[in-house]
Amino acid sequence: MEFDGGDDLIPGNATRRDFLRKMSVAASAAAITGAASSQPLRQREIKNWDASADVVIVGAGAAGIAAAIEARRYRVKALVLEKFDVAGGTSSLSGGVCYMGGGTPLQQALGFADSTENMYNYMVAAAGIHAPRDRIQAYCEGSQEQFDWLVANGVRYAQKFSAEKEVSRADASLYYSGCEKVFPYRDNARPAPRGHLPPTDDLTGGRSLMRALLTSAANLGVALTTNVSVERLVQAGDGAVIGVEVIDNGERRRIRARNGVVLAAGGFIHNPSMLQRYAPELNRCSAPWGRAGDLGMGIRMGMSVGANALRMNQGFVILPLYPPEDALKGIVVNLNGQRFVPEDAYYGLMGYEIAYRQDGRAFLIIDATTDYAPQDYRFKLAAHADSIAALEAALKLPTESLQRTVDYYNRFAQAGQDPLYQKSPHYIAPLIKPPFKAYDLDLTRAFCPVVTVGGLHTNLNSQVIHVEGDIIPGLYAAGRTAASTVLARYIGSGMSIGEALFAGRRAGAHAAQIKR
Amino acid sequence: MKFFCALIAIIITVYANADALNIKAIADVKTVNNEDSIERGRIVFFQCRTCHYVEKNYGHHNGPNLYGVFGRVAGTAAGFSYYSEAMKNAGKAGFIWSPALLDIWLANPRTMIPGTAMVVFNLSAQQRADLIEYLQAFHD
Repeated sequence: MEFDGGDDLIPGNATRRDFLRKMSVAASAAAITGAASSQPLRQREIKNWDASADVVIVGAGAAGIAAAIEARRYRVKALVLEKFDVAGGTSSLSGGVCYMGGGTPLQQALGFADSTENMYNYMVAAAGIHAPRDRIQAYCEGSQEQFDWLVANGVRYAQKFSAEKEVSRADASLYYSGCEKVFPYRDNARPAPRGHLPPTDDLTGGRSLMRALLTSAANLGVALTTNVSVERLVQAGDGAVIGVEVIDNGERRRIRARNGVVLAAGGFIHNPSMLQRYAPELNRCSAPWGRAGDLGMGIRMGMSVGANALRMNQGFVILPLYPPEDALKGIVVNLNGQRFVPEDAYYGLMGYEIAYRQDGRAFLIIDATTDYAPQDYRFKLAAHADSIAALEAALKLPTESLQRTVDYYNRFAQAGQDPLYQKSPHYIAPLIKPPFKAYDLDLTRAFCPVVTVGGLHTNLNSQVIHVEGDIIPGLYAAGRTAASTVLARYIGSGMSIGEALFAGRRAGAHAAQIKR
Repeated sequence: MKFFCALIAIIITVYANADALNIKAIADVKTVNNEDSIERGRIVFFQCRTCHYVEKNYGHHNGPNLYGVFGRVAGTAAGFSYYSEAMKNAGKAGFIWSPALLDIWLANPRTMIPGTAMVVFNLSAQQRADLIEYLQAFHD
């Protein structure tokens, strides 16, 4: 109950206090998971159901609403249960970017060549060793249709491209949202922009995206209830998931799910005890990102019926050096004074490298020719000095480490080259003019938004897989509740929503058609 | 109407108790070293940047800009058009943001003004105090 923010403080709220007392037994079990018990109810414990639907969907973010829309295509009753006052999930607070390609109508209209194979090659290279190739293949094959689906559900895109690494213009709908143009990925596949986003004045594309999808869902007859918290699954004797127990206005109710339950309840970035247990790399990052519902409830409920969970230590770690892109003319070094990533990498790759491969610490080194002085909140100056040697000493880096790095970098940068990481020539400049500055990129203190990407193991129908390898009948997961193509080596902005739609739609369609 | 009356009652209750509650809320947290508190508050506020900017020139985001928020009538930031009815009604009923009221709000978001669109994370009393120190640094 640690996230209920003190409801029990209200004088006279006897019901609430009684409820908390009843929960004290559950709380001892909760010590294991860090929250109230998510142990499943057995069918035999249920005398009667308070409500029913064909497909019950937990969470009203992108994944849940996509599942509901798809389920309604098969004319089944789809019920979405949202824990909070407002539907839309973390997706509605995002930039609304969806990673799509292979030759979408928008790519074509703006003159960018792409193909399913080209998109696949980039994604597999960018994702690295954890890449689920079959899933990436299916994602790429469905990408053009995904674009059509979004448009058919009322999402609007402008026929305008932005060359910025982070879209800051009100009217653009397509940009390079990952490492497509960055070494070595640009050599694995022909670069194509795949970040598709609704145009907005204030970078709130997620609001536009989710408003459109929620409107479409309502028009299609999806039932959506807010302020209903799904607490436990209900399991039949054969292990199949047949419903959920919810808390609705303080009352426990049981809702029958005739075809299946879709867990689309987000990740667990706002559950500190789960974070510490599974993902200490993420727990130390400064800015847990997302709506307050990212408490891991969906993942815990899946685990409670024996589901496997994958990549629980992985997260999308953002270290936003840019904008302004001038910062990329500097170099980023680790505590050995050595570079470890092309500085013009997508900020998700930069965050990954620092969080997982440099123990969460790094410095940005720039000189006075680079007109970069972040006056905002993101980074603090760690040191400044009139020579690289003095800067190295001030940062307590090993003797001559940073000096050798800068000497080597400068020698080639004079000629516009970067043999080590092949930064785009646009960002190459020797570091020669004092004073030299070092900005602190320690992820505990630098602005570092982070979300979890580990979650339940699912197949391509979004069916949840038991630790023994079998499908758990009646249980689906999508979005950040499921492990997917969204990895710590983050492919590009728009993967999280793109995957949420991909997996949510498959969950809704499969659950709607299943014969139970 | 019943809901609205209840809302007014809550707001009046909060106002009547604000001073006393404030003492309780602030008494056991350390804000002695103001600079340290502001620096900690800078980091606490990072998660709030999902929706809010506090810098004067950054404009609104998912939520309203918080530059000079203390003294502002709730639900009235110029140019922000996504307030919930609950927040607008609180403003009409006379709710003005102050450090003490923000502290109470962040500790009890769903009971102080139910039904707003604002996302509130679980923060310790110390984190709330640091956050409020930080926000107070942004004003004309």
